[in-house]
Amino acid sequence: MNRFLDKPLQYKIISVCVLANIIIFVVNIFLLLGINSMSTEMELVYQDNKNLNQLSVSLSNVQDSMTEYLSSKSSDSLTKYYDNAQRFSALTDSLDDKITDLSFGRMERNIKYMSQNYLDQVSQTIEAKRGRNVEKYRVYYENATTMYEYINAYITSLNLELFVNNSKHYSELNTAFRHYEFVSFIVITLVMAGNILIITSFVSAIIMPLRRLADSANEVAEGNFDTELPELTNNDEIGTVLNAFNKMLISIKQYIEKIRESMEKERYMQEKELMMESHLKDAQLKYLQAQINPHFLFNTLNAGAQLAMMEGADKTYEYVQTVADFYRYNVNGKKEEATIREEVTLVDNYIRILNVRFAGDIGYDKQVDERLLDVPMPNMILQPIVENAVNHGIREMGDKGRITLKVYREDNNVCISIIDNGKGVSREDIDKIMSGHWQHKEHQYDNNGIGMDNVISRLRLYTENINSFNIFSEGENKGCEVTIRLPYNDAH
Amino acid sequence: MSKKPFEFIKKKLNRSSIILSLTLLFVVLVIAVGFIVFRFNILRYNVQSEDREYDKYYVMITDNYKSDFWQEIYKGAFDAAKEQNIYVDLLGDDLPTQYSCEQLMKIAIASKVDGIMVYANESDEMTALIDEAIGAGIPVITLYSDNTHSKRISFVGVGSYNIGREYGKQIINIINDKHKAMDEDGTRLGEDEINIAILVNSDAKETGQNVLISAIKDAIDKENITGSKVSFSIITVNNTNAFSVEESIRDIFLADDIPDVIVCLNELNTVCAYQALVDFTRVGEADILGYYDSDAIIREIEKGTVYATVDIDTKQLGEYCISALSDYYEFGSTSQYYTADVKLINKYNVDEYHKQKEAEQDE
Repeated sequence: MNRFLDKPLQYKIISVCVLANIIIFVVNIFLLLGINSMSTEMELVYQDNKNLNQLSVSLSNVQDSMTEYLSSKSSDSLTKYYDNAQRFSALTDSLDDKITDLSFGRMERNIKYMSQNYLDQVSQTIEAKRGRNVEKYRVYYENATTMYEYINAYITSLNLELFVNNSKHYSELNTAFRHYEFVSFIVITLVMAGNILIITSFVSAIIMPLRRLADSANEVAEGNFDTELPELTNNDEIGTVLNAFNKMLISIKQYIEKIRESMEKERYMQEKELMMESHLKDAQLKYLQAQINPHFLFNTLNAGAQLAMMEGADKTYEYVQTVADFYRYNVNGKKEEATIREEVTLVDNYIRILNVRFAGDIGYDKQVDERLLDVPMPNMILQPIVENAVNHGIREMGDKGRITLKVYREDNNVCISIIDNGKGVSREDIDKIMSGHWQHKEHQYDNNGIGMDNVISRLRLYTENINSFNIFSEGENKGCEVTIRLPYNDAH
Repeated sequence: MSKKPFEFIKKKLNRSSIILSLTLLFVVLVIAVGFIVFRFNILRYNVQSEDREYDKYYVMITDNYKSDFWQEIYKGAFDAAKEQNIYVDLLGDDLPTQYSCEQLMKIAIASKVDGIMVYANESDEMTALIDEAIGAGIPVITLYSDNTHSKRISFVGVGSYNIGREYGKQIINIINDKHKAMDEDGTRLGEDEINIAILVNSDAKETGQNVLISAIKDAIDKENITGSKVSFSIITVNNTNAFSVEESIRDIFLADDIPDVIVCLNELNTVCAYQALVDFTRVGEADILGYYDSDAIIREIEKGTVYATVDIDTKQLGEYCISALSDYYEFGSTSQYYTADVKLINKYNVDEYHKQKEAEQDE
């Protein structure tokens, strides 16, 4: 079986079909043999009658030739008589003399003996005629003719009886033939059904791996590469295709695996790049923070020292304290994040320091929503803005200069506004500041060192919002308002 | 898990090989069975012809082989012969033309049979034929009717004297019955004449009939009935051709005065006589003494149309023939006469007869 299954597909299918055909052929041969045998039998049915007719004809010939001889005494008729008598004798010898239950068997026996008797009588007649024994041959002739009639009667009767019997036999044969036809039909039908079963089951068994392969291929086509691979079965074409398919599938899987690996690597690289970028930003921030001008520290400390020298009183102390606080914040401000409170405090200290420096020129108003003071924000943001407002807005205004700090909530944002009533800023300057193209005046001594562009960058990085920093000015000498928007999170 | 499809295919293949085997088996089986059935059907005839074969072949010759009487005798002979592996044919039974006993004798002699049982008559032709057969080495037995002058080896028949005596007794009974009836009616007017007609076949020159008639006369004389004058008439029935018997018997009933008692000496005459009696509505006017116990005759006895009949043991007749021939073959000679039993049946013992028949059939 297995060896058969390893043969090529074509061979297998052809074999099954040939086998089915052979079965049908064999069955047909047998059926034909049966029909042949029956038809032979049917031909032989009336053979007995034919033989008997032959006997009858032969008998008539003997009688006729005898009569002819008796009437003409020609040598021709005598030869004819001898011929006929011999033939008739041969025919009667072949008759069966058995006594059986069958009436025609016994009749045959009687005909045989009567024919022999008849032939005796006839030969005696002929002899008497040749010996010119007129009286005798007449008697013999009479006897022979009587016997001839009896034999004829017997033959007729036997013929009839045989005919009846043979007819019966014939009709039975005929019936048998009809049955045979029916049975043949049934046999052919059943064999055909069997053949269909054989072919169906064989072909489906042969095709089964192919179907499974098709199913697998469909599944693979729908993207399921983990489909159950059909088992390698036979060494036929389907087996080959199956094998190739399996190999192909494995290759595809491996290839997909490779692609995935490289993609993962790429993504990792991208992630790394992003990290590096952020680190860079971080570094930049730190760098910017580190730009704070140490000159200022010394100037202020000098001013504090001068005051202390001149008065040596409480105010001095307070001042120095304030300066100290201010710087402490800066020194401690290694961390990038602070709270609004800390930033506001820094601004307070800065204003106080300025007021001490410039003898209370700057008016400072605070409108702060205390609840928002703990909101985190990047450090060193407010002080540079206030410093800017003082330096560029109200420095030359003397005691008329005024700075207002507001902290309030607006939707989901915490807004911090620093408003001055100074010179104001032109539209172009605002745009320059916002886009970071503002040119610093180098070596500006009175500067903390942190430029507006740094503040804006840091704020934007921190809030990831381009609108977190706004400058608004109505025009020349109409003051300026800087608004910072920080995201407000309820958790704070 | 991955083995599963392979198993499935294997199962499928197993199934197909089973189907293949079954189909092949079926085909072979069908062919074999069909062949056997077919052969059997054909061979039935060939087997039939190779039937039992017999050692000897006897023929029985009679002029009326269709009658129940002869058929019964034939059957008795046939059954007895079969036991000895001999076949008995009722010659002429299967021939298209009806031949006379003499013609059949010729056929039998020419056919070289092993034995002849012939319903003979006393004619010279029959004598010559019997002698010819004996000359050809064929033993001949005369059956039921003898040919005394021939060299026949034996005669098997019924005792005609016995039958005649039985008929005589029945005639006396009939006369007594009539007298009794007349006495009761008061119509008896002295002596009356009882007319007895005996139907005799025209071709019969046999002595049996004469013996029978004289036996009847003896029996009546012995009883010596007073007050009655008994007259006998012998009516010859023409049986020379096929239907003449019936015509002759009808002629009797066409006369005004019909006989008081009609004695029939064979089965056919009996049947014709009672049928004529019925057809001419003269039942009661004549009493029929019948011959042989065919079903029809027994039925008529029950009805009263036939007064009485004699039951001849036909089976015994047939058996005697075979034993006579066997004796001849075995010992070279046999008894000259065999006489079968005779029994009278009338309305008084017909029931008993039925019972006896049934008992025989049950056997």
